Amino acid sequence: MTEALGFLWPSFVVAVCLVGIHAYFGIQVLARNVIFVDLALAQIAALGATVAFMLGHPAQSLATYGYSLTFTLLAAVLLAFTRAWASRVPQEALIGVIYVVAAAASILLIDQAPQGAEHLKQILTGNILTSGLGEVTVIVPLYLAVALVHFLLRHRLTKSGSLFWEFVFYATFGMVVTSSVALAGVLLVFSFLIIPAAIGVMFASTLPRQLAIGWIAGILTSAAGFAASFAFDLPTGAAIVCAFGAALALAGLIYPFVRGNRLVALKITVNTVRWGVAALIAGSAIQLAVTSRADQPLLDMLEHAAPSLRNLYFTKAEAAAYQDANDYAERHRLAAEQLIELERRSRTQGEPLDEAAVQRISSFLKSYAEMRKGEQFVMSEVRARARERVGWIVSLGLLAAALLLAPLPWRRLWTRFSR
Amino acid sequence: MGQTAPARAQERIRVVATTTDLRSLTEAVGGDVVDAVSLVPANFDAEEYQPKPQDVLRLKDARLVVRVGLDYDLWFDRLLEAAAARELGRGGPGYVDAAYGIAPLEVRGVTVGPGDGHAHGSGNPHYWLDPGNAEFITANIMEGLARIDPANAKTFETNRQAFLARLSAKLTEWEARLAPLRGMPLIAYHNSWPYFARRFRLDFADFLEIKPGVPSTPSHLAGIIETMRTRGVRIVVREPHEPERDVAFVGAKTGASVVVLAASVGALPGTDNYLALFDTDVAALVQAAAR
Repeated sequence: MTEALGFLWPSFVVAVCLVGIHAYFGIQVLARNVIFVDLALAQIAALGATVAFMLGHPAQSLATYGYSLTFTLLAAVLLAFTRAWASRVPQEALIGVIYVVAAAASILLIDQAPQGAEHLKQILTGNILTSGLGEVTVIVPLYLAVALVHFLLRHRLTKSGSLFWEFVFYATFGMVVTSSVALAGVLLVFSFLIIPAAIGVMFASTLPRQLAIGWIAGILTSAAGFAASFAFDLPTGAAIVCAFGAALALAGLIYPFVRGNRLVALKITVNTVRWGVAALIAGSAIQLAVTSRADQPLLDMLEHAAPSLRNLYFTKAEAAAYQDANDYAERHRLAAEQLIELERRSRTQGEPLDEAAVQRISSFLKSYAEMRKGEQFVMSEVRARARERVGWIVSLGLLAAALLLAPLPWRRLWTRFSR
Repeated sequence: MGQTAPARAQERIRVVATTTDLRSLTEAVGGDVVDAVSLVPANFDAEEYQPKPQDVLRLKDARLVVRVGLDYDLWFDRLLEAAAARELGRGGPGYVDAAYGIAPLEVRGVTVGPGDGHAHGSGNPHYWLDPGNAEFITANIMEGLARIDPANAKTFETNRQAFLARLSAKLTEWEARLAPLRGMPLIAYHNSWPYFARRFRLDFADFLEIKPGVPSTPSHLAGIIETMRTRGVRIVVREPHEPERDVAFVGAKTGASVVVLAASVGALPGTDNYLALFDTDVAALVQAAAR
């Protein structure tokens, strides 16, 4: 536990650094309306590294970095130009083209290399969990230098201007993205870039305030993502990306309360939630009535959370059969795991198992897998039959519940009909 | 008629193997009589391979296909369908599932591939990494070749025996060289090594990847580092196509050294056939253990 915390905090420091620079670039990217430019630049950098690799330079060498940087700068020139072309075709379309062509070109190049698929993968899939203070000492000076350039040239760079200043913007952005994608991966860098910036832009209109809000939101959300990853034992990068998604949704919910009439906003929110839940319940009611044997996502989820719900519609015999099958499935699984463990231990401990013994274990394992599948079939069949039996009644009940929950003007309807 | 016979004798039997390992073993059995190609380039993750149009053409010329099976090369079924060569399909005379007769380890589920009547477990598919299993694999290949070209059945048998004799001599050598590593705990990125471990009595204590494609969680990583410290793990194994960072991370945390091992022929320089594959891996492990 403490060990996990011990290496979570350096990667949290990395995340804070990434939020710091990306929230700023995100605001610029949103203003320029070039949302996916980071993906295009990262892919171009990967293409550069691939070319270096094909020419025989090792992965983490200066030459490889040089190729990456050169390709990124070339892409920056291209991106600066796309602004001029963008009158008819949206710039975002051209960025998309740069992305897919760079990605496809690297695949074609890699295809020629006898050993290289690994290379492309490693450039584009960083893992923030295994990044640490060593990386911080590299990225902090780079990010500070970029930030300094942008601060000194803020009157030139914060608005889209001449070709040259566009080039400077994309070139510096390219340097940042190239390093951050290798650290944290494409998904996470995109979230760092867009979501804090979007939240900042939502709640403020001047750059310093947008930045401050973006930074606070970004750092708090990253912390929440790390905490979730630690508490629920989830892959860290994916947990942080989902935390950022939730943060944006939360910001969207809060927005009307901050910006508009609070009472109206509250009423709209409550009504939306009531309509949403009512529609969900009505939907499952209809599905249960029409195809009672199919998957019932809502009911399955409820049952998964509270297995005792099954007792409401299972007969005694059904409950017994279900429980029995469940017990057997678990027993087969445990028996199989024990055999696997036995074989695993025999690799190094005691006398090695002979071929016949391994063959026998293997066929036992196959049988256990088959039997477990059989028990699982029994479980789903018992449940499907029980649901078929009570389908109509439950679905009518659910429909009634949905009607009651929906924010329909019941009182007005009642007075009209009772007259 | 008199003229076609020698021309036919010179025409080599075209064999398509899904992986470089099976191609190498097919060459060992077929010798000069076969012309074997493999579809997945060395060092590509064969489980994620996407067939190319050329692969369909390669199948059109082929008289025999050899696959890994055990759900390792599932994409091959769709490719066979696309090539529409009934002779090469499941159950056809030109179809060899190299896993036939091999006892799969770590069977946890039921196969997801198209069935052919009897129950298959979906065990760990990296069975070619036990040199002992080459006996079964080459037997399956030999049977397939003999079905296609009965006239050369004797040649295939002789080739196979010669290869197995060389392999057996090599195996004794490898076992002797790896003897100091017996029971020494190792960590790997992906669980490719159970067959290799069984043969050479190595102990792969844990794997960085939780499931294929799912990176570690914090507590899994902490657990691995804990295991490495308590059990004194000195070697972390990764394949060339696996992420360098994650392995380097646990290596740096614990002072263990990272060894890059080839799980397939051609994945590393100097591994251009089945015997060279083990020569290279054994040498790398021995060198790392001596450090």
